[in-house]
Amino acid sequence: MMPFIPPRLRKPAGIALAGAVFAAAWLVRDGSLWWVAILAVIAAAARAVSWYRMGGRDTDEGALAASQADERQQLVSLQSRALACNLAAVAAFIGLTVAIAVKAAWWWPFLVILAVTGFGYLLGLSSYGEPDADDDADAEQPERSPIQS
Amino acid sequence: MRNRVREQRTQRGLSQAELAAALGVSRQTVISIESGRYLPSLPLAFTIARFFDLTVDKMFDPDDEEAGA
Repeated sequence: MMPFIPPRLRKPAGIALAGAVFAAAWLVRDGSLWWVAILAVIAAAARAVSWYRMGGRDTDEGALAASQADERQQLVSLQSRALACNLAAVAAFIGLTVAIAVKAAWWWPFLVILAVTGFGYLLGLSSYGEPDADDDADAEQPERSPIQS
Repeated sequence: MRNRVREQRTQRGLSQAELAAALGVSRQTVISIESGRYLPSLPLAFTIARFFDLTVDKMFDPDDEEAGA
């Protein structure tokens, strides 16, 4: 992904881009709130710089920030993201339960988050899992013998 | 699973950073493998074994549950 950008700049660039989009949303919402957009850009720039600096550190976080993680660091990142998703799902469930109990109108964003995490999990199973196939299902494919030239 | 990474590395007088650079992984990953906290993937296990001119089963002993060298 993004091979034309040096690895250490990829995450900061993504943060800066997200900040710019967020700032643009404030401008589109209301032109008089331009100062919020400027604040968003400044915050995104500061975060991008801090991630760039973190990318220079000799730590797991530094390698991930610099997009130069090895296999163990990628696994650590994957596990951390799975934990974050689990926590988000639990928090969404609690929020949904509370919203229903107090008859609040803001119950549906929690339901959306729950649905997205559940859908993402099922999508992951179907994308990364081995498809259910019969034994020797690939035996129909012609097998090339190592002694045949 | 016991492994002989630390033993082989110190025999060759290599630092963890030097071994990490030779294997193309981070220093933290070498530390994790040596301490037994991380089991490397099969390709990395072969890379480690080849680097030390050993076979994978000589480098990593699945019968020994004790971690580290």
